Amino acid sequence: MPHTPPSSRIPAIFKRPLKAIRPVWAARAMHKSAVEVLKQPVPEDTVTASFGKFISELKPQHLSPVVLHRSKRMVLDSIGVGLIGSTTDVFELALQHCQNMYAPGDTSSVYGHRGIRLSPILAAFVNGVATHSMDFDDTWHPATHPSGAVLPAVLALSDMMPANNKPSGLDFLLAFNVGIEIQGRLLRFSNEAHNIPKRFHPPSVVGTMGSAAACARLLSLDPIQSSHALAIAASLAGAPMANAATQSKPLHIGNASRLGLEAALLASRGLEASPLVLDAVAGVAGFSAFYEDYVPQPLQSPGNDSHMFLLEEQDIGFKRFPAHLGMHWVADAAASVHKILVGVGPGTVSPAQVEDILLRVPKSKYINRPFPESDHEARHSFQFNACTALLDGEVTVQSFTPAAMSRPDLHALLSRVRLEHPNDNPANFNRMYGEVQLTLVGGDTVKGRCNTFYGHWRNPLSNDSLRKKFRSNAEVVLPSEKVERLIEVVEDLDQLRDCRNLLSQLQ
Amino acid sequence: FPLLILGITESFGAGIHALNTSQLTDGVINRSKRMMLDTLGVGLLGTRTAVFNKALKYSQLFTSRERSSVWGQSDIILPPHYAAFVNGIAVHSMDFDDTWHPATHPSGAVLPALLALAETLPSQPSGLDLLLAFNVGIEVQGRLMRFSKEAYNIPERFHPPSVVGVMGSAAASAKLLGLSPEQCIHALAIAASSAGAPLANAATQTKPLHIGNAARRGLEAARLAQIGLKGNPAILDLDRGLGVYYKDYSPSAMADSAVRAYKWILEDQDVAFKRIPAHLGMHWVVDAALAAREKLQNAVGKFDLSQIRHVTLRVPPSKYVNCPLPATEHQARHSFQFNACTALLDNKVTVASFGDAQIGRSALKELLGKVSLETPEDNLPSFDKMYCEVEIATHQGPSYTARCDTFYGHWRKPLTLKHLVDKFSVNASSVLCTEGVEGVIDVIGNIERVADCSILGSYLRMTSNQEHLDRMRIL
Repeated sequence: MPHTPPSSRIPAIFKRPLKAIRPVWAARAMHKSAVEVLKQPVPEDTVTASFGKFISELKPQHLSPVVLHRSKRMVLDSIGVGLIGSTTDVFELALQHCQNMYAPGDTSSVYGHRGIRLSPILAAFVNGVATHSMDFDDTWHPATHPSGAVLPAVLALSDMMPANNKPSGLDFLLAFNVGIEIQGRLLRFSNEAHNIPKRFHPPSVVGTMGSAAACARLLSLDPIQSSHALAIAASLAGAPMANAATQSKPLHIGNASRLGLEAALLASRGLEASPLVLDAVAGVAGFSAFYEDYVPQPLQSPGNDSHMFLLEEQDIGFKRFPAHLGMHWVADAAASVHKILVGVGPGTVSPAQVEDILLRVPKSKYINRPFPESDHEARHSFQFNACTALLDGEVTVQSFTPAAMSRPDLHALLSRVRLEHPNDNPANFNRMYGEVQLTLVGGDTVKGRCNTFYGHWRNPLSNDSLRKKFRSNAEVVLPSEKVERLIEVVEDLDQLRDCRNLLSQLQ
Repeated sequence: FPLLILGITESFGAGIHALNTSQLTDGVINRSKRMMLDTLGVGLLGTRTAVFNKALKYSQLFTSRERSSVWGQSDIILPPHYAAFVNGIAVHSMDFDDTWHPATHPSGAVLPALLALAETLPSQPSGLDLLLAFNVGIEVQGRLMRFSKEAYNIPERFHPPSVVGVMGSAAASAKLLGLSPEQCIHALAIAASSAGAPLANAATQTKPLHIGNAARRGLEAARLAQIGLKGNPAILDLDRGLGVYYKDYSPSAMADSAVRAYKWILEDQDVAFKRIPAHLGMHWVVDAALAAREKLQNAVGKFDLSQIRHVTLRVPPSKYVNCPLPATEHQARHSFQFNACTALLDNKVTVASFGDAQIGRSALKELLGKVSLETPEDNLPSFDKMYCEVEIATHQGPSYTARCDTFYGHWRKPLTLKHLVDKFSVNASSVLCTEGVEGVIDVIGNIERVADCSILGSYLRMTSNQEHLDRMRIL
């Protein structure tokens, strides 16, 4: 009797003629004794492919006026903090490293350093380091520092493009916004991302991906190459929180920028990686490796309609002084206490008046530092920023100089601080508050509270305030004519036919 | 505020700094020399792959005053970081490099960085210096992997070389540079911010970059620490430090390095060398398939594909090596099914088995259609505990089953020196002339007596004339 093989044992997929099987995508097999191979996902069905398509197909006309306006503010602020950041020790160290390790390139400019140019990857690196060196750069919700990871790479890549084919200002802005949008979308894949981070420093996770996306856009990669750029970038992402509040933190942004650029360049040369990197595949982690909970969503390509950018729904926070975002709440709260005290007293706050300082803040280990020893630590210390604002009425760039940090009055106040973590004060930049309660010698208490500091997305800096911050930063390294020209060029960036006008003003 | 215990990271900084050549035992020297030889061989072979070529073209965008060799290239030099990058990629390009327990590919992350770095030093290190630095890099990786239970099983989240490999490279580079204990601490801290690549890129063309990047970014971390960059000095102590890469994390201090008789992990736990350029798990299934095939052949007289009705593979559960119908060489190297079927079809699995033509054979695809996988409960996803069983069911009726618990090349059944050297020779001869091949064997064999290890670099650049004339990739 002829023996017919039990067809139920043959996986369904192999009953189809072999020609019909798409060769590129791995089947999602299950670990079961009776193997049941799922129908191979059509490429367009995956989250990863949807991101690749979006990056490749987005056009300038999809940028709405609000998005253009907000992103130009981000570009201006980012350049400014990068320029002042180019005067820091950590920047100097990073630059020295690049110059030691590599011959002078003549391609991409370095913020605020006339005559120094580096190869694009290294320029992206040092400019990214500069941007985050003082923790002065923008912050978004869910939490990350979006611009510093993207702008240096887009600038460096623009410098790399041939003189007769430089991107227009609009192309530049489009690439920038792709980089921001991708970061925002990725941050929404997990609940974990909505709170102040504990494990991976967000710019090192989503920033790298954003930079890769932006560069893929500027390089006009096709949808498949764009998705490979993201996948290659994923293997370059991720740095632990423990290095926040150290001198290495700025390198997280520097590396995000340069490695994203690198991923896009490698993809443009045909390097391939996982086509499922953004999708959730049980048993094999992709981008999900960086999160405890992970639910990815596909990104719709805009086609002929407009696209709702996340930046339109959720604005950015700009910092008024160079410290971790959380510091801005306690500083504003402490400043209001200072105002009250100074209003009735001799014009200064003296430690001798102060018995006790209570800060009510969210619980977050890496910004709870009673006695910071370096400027990096001070920028991540509720106690330091509260006491500085109590003493001086404000926190500024100068507050983190060695002289300011070693003041005896400041130390006296620091030793009187204690922290409380009320249950209603979550470690979340959208919902937290800062409260300062001073107990004076004699028993009186003075309280200050800040729910939304000026510069937060709920209370954005005015254009005037933003420009003031920019001038104050940029004038440290550039002559004022260049500073004013930069402001004009960025203001009109979407009208610029050739972004060289922007590129030439940065040093 | 809890007092930060610096103990663990501090002990690693002290250990990296203090370990010296007198502490290298015969056992460790012997094993690590085998690792170096094997790594160079697979690296040389790997310089003929597509992924290597892409990385090389990309890296040639960069120039520097410092110059380091690219293995198997007589006239290309790169900045040391990029030499470490491309040579590391070459090593892992075909998944042919060594594997340890707990699971990682230890040598590829370390050796390329050290050789690239050595070429830039004002005074050339001796062979013994190189050997010591290499072992420091391996030892640190071994220690770090023992900080979590998760590390003992076949990975699911982060690809281990991307986590511990970069730390090993930083440690080894710091050792060769002679950094102070404090600088060694910071090299580790800086490297941690470059760690961690997701497993999803395994079985793709990007996987080799995990090793390439581990090598280069560890080297970079050491160089940055040398010029004074600082990170978190408790990076290994903290959950939010290296602990972020693991679900369970329980670090412990490095053993006292001041003792005369330092206990190296490599002495207790050997590595596995591969006979097949594929994921380690494939070696079990291939040995089992070959044995089952032989049983069938012995019983029936001759082996004929048409006899096979169905093939059942009993393997440990591991998603990324379960690929019923691989389409690329990278997928093929990560497919129980493909490797079993190739073994049945050809009675061997070799470097050549992973070419496009081989992957696309209709006879192979037909056989693949008859394969199913089972994951028995007693088959644990651990390279120390797994087994593979292959059951061939024939049309005639009888089934032939064979099981492999320990493949030849596993640490429990190590390759003989002859077979290790043979593997190296075959690999290296595809790129180097005979003088180069024999030169490398000689230098590594006697490395503890070599005064100036730059001779190694010269041999690695001695390409054959055939290589010059015929630069086609073999895959």
